[in-house]
Amino acid sequence: MIQNRMAVTGFDVRVWSGGSGAPLVWLHGFEHHPGAAPYLTRFSLTRHILAPEHPGFGASAGFDRLTDLQDLILYYRALIEAWDKGPVDVIGHCFGGMIAAELAVLAPGLVRRLVLVDPYGLWLDEAPLPDPFLLNPAALAAAKYCDPAAASRETNAFDPALGDTAAEYRTINLTAASKFMWPIPDRGLARRLPYLTSPTLVVHGEADRLTPPAYDAAWAAALPHARTARIAGAGHLPMVEAEDSFFDAVEGFLA
Amino acid sequence: MKFHWFAEATYPHLADDFPKQGLSSWVSTPPSLVDPVKVGETYRMFIRLMQQADRDGFDGLAVNEHHQTPFAMTPSPNLLAASLASTTENAAILIIGDSLALYNPPTRVAEEMAYLDCVSGGRLIAGFVFGTPMDSVFAYGNPPPELRDRFHEARKLILRAWEADAPFAFNGKYTQLRYVNTWPKPIQKRPPIWVPGSGSLETWDLVIDENYCYGHLSFSGLHSAKPMVDAYWNYVAERGGDMNPHRMAFTQLVCCAATDAEAEAKYYEAVRYFYRMNTLDPAFTMAPGYTTIRSQQAMAAHLQGAPGLRPEDRVRAQNGEMSFWEYDEKGYIIAGTPQRVRQRLRELATDLRIGQLIGCLHMGNLAEETAAENTHLFGTQVIPHLRDLWGDQPDHWTPPISQTRIAARAQAALEAAE
Repeated sequence: MIQNRMAVTGFDVRVWSGGSGAPLVWLHGFEHHPGAAPYLTRFSLTRHILAPEHPGFGASAGFDRLTDLQDLILYYRALIEAWDKGPVDVIGHCFGGMIAAELAVLAPGLVRRLVLVDPYGLWLDEAPLPDPFLLNPAALAAAKYCDPAAASRETNAFDPALGDTAAEYRTINLTAASKFMWPIPDRGLARRLPYLTSPTLVVHGEADRLTPPAYDAAWAAALPHARTARIAGAGHLPMVEAEDSFFDAVEGFLA
Repeated sequence: MKFHWFAEATYPHLADDFPKQGLSSWVSTPPSLVDPVKVGETYRMFIRLMQQADRDGFDGLAVNEHHQTPFAMTPSPNLLAASLASTTENAAILIIGDSLALYNPPTRVAEEMAYLDCVSGGRLIAGFVFGTPMDSVFAYGNPPPELRDRFHEARKLILRAWEADAPFAFNGKYTQLRYVNTWPKPIQKRPPIWVPGSGSLETWDLVIDENYCYGHLSFSGLHSAKPMVDAYWNYVAERGGDMNPHRMAFTQLVCCAATDAEAEAKYYEAVRYFYRMNTLDPAFTMAPGYTTIRSQQAMAAHLQGAPGLRPEDRVRAQNGEMSFWEYDEKGYIIAGTPQRVRQRLRELATDLRIGQLIGCLHMGNLAEETAAENTHLFGTQVIPHLRDLWGDQPDHWTPPISQTRIAARAQAALEAAE
């Protein structure tokens, strides 16, 4: 995986890319970009993967150019068009799942197959999501992982050479995420999902308590033609906690 | 120097073991702990006390906005202000302030403040606040990085609504109105504007650029505030801003009594209640993006190596573990005879360069008669002795009509005494 910067619509963001083959875009979650994570490297063995860091996260610019979610989705349409690989498969994890689903609605010709991994974007009054911005580190870890020991395997894109402290890096990321997820990570996606035509796989870690199992069912109900996969032994990050099962499900679908 | 009467409208009947229950006194406090009938009695007590403060010579009656907390049960300061505007004569109606991002559309603030200025005969001070994280981003759900942007858009809309002499269209990012034509207009063409803050550089820039009155509203006194207030004045000086002390407000708990011993006997329990029952869940005190990284770094630098208060003292104060006179010594309260109180307030105001003192004359579960005595002693035996402070500097941050009436009243009292 190579880290680089990519400029579209007048500002630039960090991107990690690598491999060759059918194009695949990875959109990361609300906490951070995973950097050159093992699972991204593994995708690059068979695919040409592009994993941008969202505008405003980490060392990516552009936050002040976005007012609402639609701006962000239009930005991603422009970024993928600028990548110039034709239609791409898109995997969106967590907050990235919300973006990926919106993108597939907005630009159906651009998204070939769609994978949503423990995605945000829906809200159920009968099963309110925990507030990801309020959880202290211990409570967040308990909600996120099936096995808290997995925390040591989770990667991020923090780079002390850029001059921020680790605490500032986290604040920068969560500030940007809050724009689209505060106070409730629902910006009306459920209304738009009927327009989603890309073949879709929804993946859930069985032990995820950030987007708990009730949401698994809600996505299945909202997307009657989607496939679903439940990954045992994993929480909110099945690609970290159960990498092989995750790849079995996702590669089988994308093939 | 000016003196404003203030109290947090704290619910005074929480159980003594409330702090031990692990509940937050903000945002998520169970409403079952509070009896609405007693809340009503509490509101009426504050109205009586502030009406008395008007008679006792205070320059302003301060009301503030907080949400979802028994610590300060004033979700709309304008409502309390309305009770005062029509039943008082002299003091400024100091709204400190309306949380601009929480009014939709913000023309509501322009209308209600104009109403209050009309009813009070031109005595309004328009305070504009961002609101604490508990209020503005948790209770009212604003995405934290949008809060300042929303505040400024609302502020510009309100000021224009007051000034415009014809309907106008407002096409904002957050508010769109085709016909803005605020009725009524305030009597004061542009009421004085105050903006409190807690050290953000962006707020400092705003009050310097616009020459608003800044407020450092803490309840921890001189030693805690000194590093930040000194840094503020240094920043004003560096930027070539107006150094007039009348554009700096500061809150201070005050406990006056005939003797020092009487002060301890009458106020100690209420002071402890005030600090103990404010059991804020730390998670609600911060939200990503509420304070910019630039301001976080600046605040850390201001506090770095500064004398200030020790963290363990803050914890002890919070837990009610200080003696009455230790609260006083550390600056949390200024207590004792009027002679002692005015001497210490003179030191405080001189040291911090404060021209607007917001005295907290009621705190926690203080008895009404004690607060009334506090108000009377402060109004008649403290304020007159401190009027000379900063007397050589003009005060553009309180309403002219209040200044005139209060000065005339003080003069009449002086002549009556002779």
